Amino acid sequence: MTVRSKLLVLLGGISLSACGTSGNDGSPAAGGTGGEVNLYTARHYDSDMALYERFTRETGIRINRIEGDADQLIARMRSEGERSPADLFITADAGALWRAEQAGVLQPVQSAVLNERVPVNLRDRDGDWHGFTRRARVVAYNPEKVRPEDVDSYEDLAAPGLRGRLCVRSSDNIYNLSLVGALIEAWGEQRAEQWARGVVANMARQPEGGDRDQIRAVGAGICDVAITNSYYFIRMESGEDEADRAVVRPLRLGFPSLDGHGSHVNISGGGIAASAPNRENAIRLLEFLASSEAQQHFARFNNEFPAGPDVPAVPPTDRYAQFAAHPMPVEAFAEHQPLAQAIMSRAGWR
Amino acid sequence: MALSSGAATAILSRRRPVARNLSGLQWLALLAALVAALPLSGIVVTALSGPGAAIPLHDLLRYAWTSAWLAVLVGFITATLGTTAAWIVVMQRFPGHSFFCWALALPLAAPAFALAYAYADLFDPAGDLRLWMRGSLGFDLPFEIRSIGGAALVLSCAFYPYVYLAMRAAFLGQSVSALESARMLGCSPRQTFFRAALPLARPALAAGVALAVMETLADYGAAQFLAVQTLTTGVVRSWSVFGSPAGAAQLAVPLLGAAALLLWVERSARRGRSHDAAQIQPRPLAIEQLHGARAAGATMFCGLLLTLGLLLPAGWLLASALAHSPDLPRLAQAALNSLSMGAAGALVTTGLALALALGAARLPLAVRIASLGYATPGAAIAIGLLVPAALVWRIVPAGAAFWVGLCLLVCAYAARLMAAALEPIDAGMARVTPSMIWAGRTLGRSEMGAAFFVQVPIARASLLTAGLIVFIDVLKELPATLILRPFNFDTLAVIANNYALDERLGQAGLPSLLIILLALPPTIWLSRKIAAARPGT
Repeated sequence: MTVRSKLLVLLGGISLSACGTSGNDGSPAAGGTGGEVNLYTARHYDSDMALYERFTRETGIRINRIEGDADQLIARMRSEGERSPADLFITADAGALWRAEQAGVLQPVQSAVLNERVPVNLRDRDGDWHGFTRRARVVAYNPEKVRPEDVDSYEDLAAPGLRGRLCVRSSDNIYNLSLVGALIEAWGEQRAEQWARGVVANMARQPEGGDRDQIRAVGAGICDVAITNSYYFIRMESGEDEADRAVVRPLRLGFPSLDGHGSHVNISGGGIAASAPNRENAIRLLEFLASSEAQQHFARFNNEFPAGPDVPAVPPTDRYAQFAAHPMPVEAFAEHQPLAQAIMSRAGWR
Repeated sequence: MALSSGAATAILSRRRPVARNLSGLQWLALLAALVAALPLSGIVVTALSGPGAAIPLHDLLRYAWTSAWLAVLVGFITATLGTTAAWIVVMQRFPGHSFFCWALALPLAAPAFALAYAYADLFDPAGDLRLWMRGSLGFDLPFEIRSIGGAALVLSCAFYPYVYLAMRAAFLGQSVSALESARMLGCSPRQTFFRAALPLARPALAAGVALAVMETLADYGAAQFLAVQTLTTGVVRSWSVFGSPAGAAQLAVPLLGAAALLLWVERSARRGRSHDAAQIQPRPLAIEQLHGARAAGATMFCGLLLTLGLLLPAGWLLASALAHSPDLPRLAQAALNSLSMGAAGALVTTGLALALALGAARLPLAVRIASLGYATPGAAIAIGLLVPAALVWRIVPAGAAFWVGLCLLVCAYAARLMAAALEPIDAGMARVTPSMIWAGRTLGRSEMGAAFFVQVPIARASLLTAGLIVFIDVLKELPATLILRPFNFDTLAVIANNYALDERLGQAGLPSLLIILLALPPTIWLSRKIAAARPGT
């Protein structure tokens, strides 16, 4: 093979991949109505793709997608500046949405549709971002060793009764940061730090692995209680993996309460990019993601809870759908994340 | 994997022709160095751009200590395993010898993160294996995979081939007379190894271990996945929790310093190589035929290494992938993207590295800088890339964004992997004697002409080696691809990473396996090529 023919083969390969990914230059010229919308998303669930395809079928608007870590996407949008092709930024934590807002890469929108579909505590007060699903940070426990009333409140998780019996992942995990941020908001810094110290004292082992690994550890008897996001448990309970189902069958999902007002909830949500070239399409997509049918889709396939109070529950999340959720505005805990990390570090939470 | 090639020839002493006027080549070399230096300067610029993150000092010290300790452990384990395997394979004959000769390098095809997924899942204390051991056998494993020891083991399984390849080349090219002298002076075979063969191969050992340790420093995610909190953890926390890319970049600077130190050590170790079989050695090595228990032991050792480095993790990934129904069209598209980027990255990186090798005789600093990208920590390289990328993004016409995005990505690969290509090309160029170039010049070629019609053809094989090495590395590349890729452009590594982040390890199995499958043929080719490298036999 000559060098030239190698080059041709190579270029052919790339053109093929380009064709396969179907027009994707994110050009504003191609935007406007009908055209396309450029999505920067830190959610990378396969089930979301089906939803995007449905949106394209219904509206004729093509979705171009870049997936990545939320903070890397924010940094990329900042680097791209005013020429950023980004239209819509989506991520799975209120803290990340808040940081995007602080970085100035989002713009406020006022949409009657969004205001109607998204409860006021699950969106930014200026309209920079809106949540469309909820996830509760709760506990999986072994009912043979733990009574439901032993994990009734977040205080219980730090109480001496659970010494050496608790599994939880590392402190820099964004869901833990948001949880501790909520405790700071509710209790103040000092009491939140005491709580973190109690949790560290209760750890059955140093933090390792993800939420699923904590649930599996309860199943294996390494600990009796695990702090986890609700959807991981529900996914293991109802998923296609028989081994996972066997692990969680004897376990229970408990919903500890914060000061008697319900469990800590976080959101998945999105905001319109500051210099969105396809702003109207982006708003349409966000409204679509907040629609009742999309929220049910998230519940069915990714096992998150709908954001809207009126969205009918669907399996497999329906058996937990009646849990009490704390009404704290999500932006309140989002901004406490750096402080939460500092507190947890001081408490020895690795 | 900068060493895997003509490392045998790297043993030749390097003498460079003194050219009077290399300006054309020098310009090319400067361009190559510039490409490689951009992300590094991006990190420095970002580090200076603002205050750091408020990470407590005791945490930072713990991260730094863990990073250093991990690097030492990986260095020690890879040195021991790689050297032992190379010595056995070169000096002894045992069942399976000719297979292990090249197969021991195959773990290079497996990304470290894939090994981390597989081992973390396989040895999870709540996983099937451990449950079964506790339930049926009544005992548990005496170690945790999610620990610094476990991470060192996993990374060593991934990186020992660097040492193995370098040391095998060194042992193949070693001087028989030196070994014989040692025996005549009364050394036992064991003493001969420790007092003659090993010291003579020191430059290769230093080079191989330096590569393994640099890969450890540059690791993106494997250690994190195994719950080991290194400086990478600090970089991620600065950025993601405290929203401070500046703080993240500041933490990356000491890591860059460590990388520079390692490169310096490697280069200075190489300076001593002229004593090492500089003259071609036509006499065959004294091969020992092993029998009985020793033969079985050698076979088992090599088999164990291959099993730990490739067969066990790949087998486990396959087993867990079988339980899930994959999105085949998406994976096929990603595989095509991975292949295309691998090929483009290989061509461009090799071209730039060639320019650097040809034109850098008077620019030694350029070579050093160009090599640093290889050891830049994966979590920090994204920060460094965004600074130069921002300049491009702000001027590029929107209609060209897709192709410009791909070009940026290819440049990022070149910056990251320049050292990997430079190493074998340098070694190949060392075969060209000054008189060959002068002959070309006498026959009327210009400097550039002599370079391309004399030096390049002689070093052709090493160019191919360099290209294949870069190709394999691009298949496994994550951080640059994640931050720079254009819309709707996923590679296999990106898909595997997405699934792993979502705690769907079963689904991460298939894309990880596909990476290994695509990387295996070039790895086999490279490894077999070096196997035939004993001069004079």
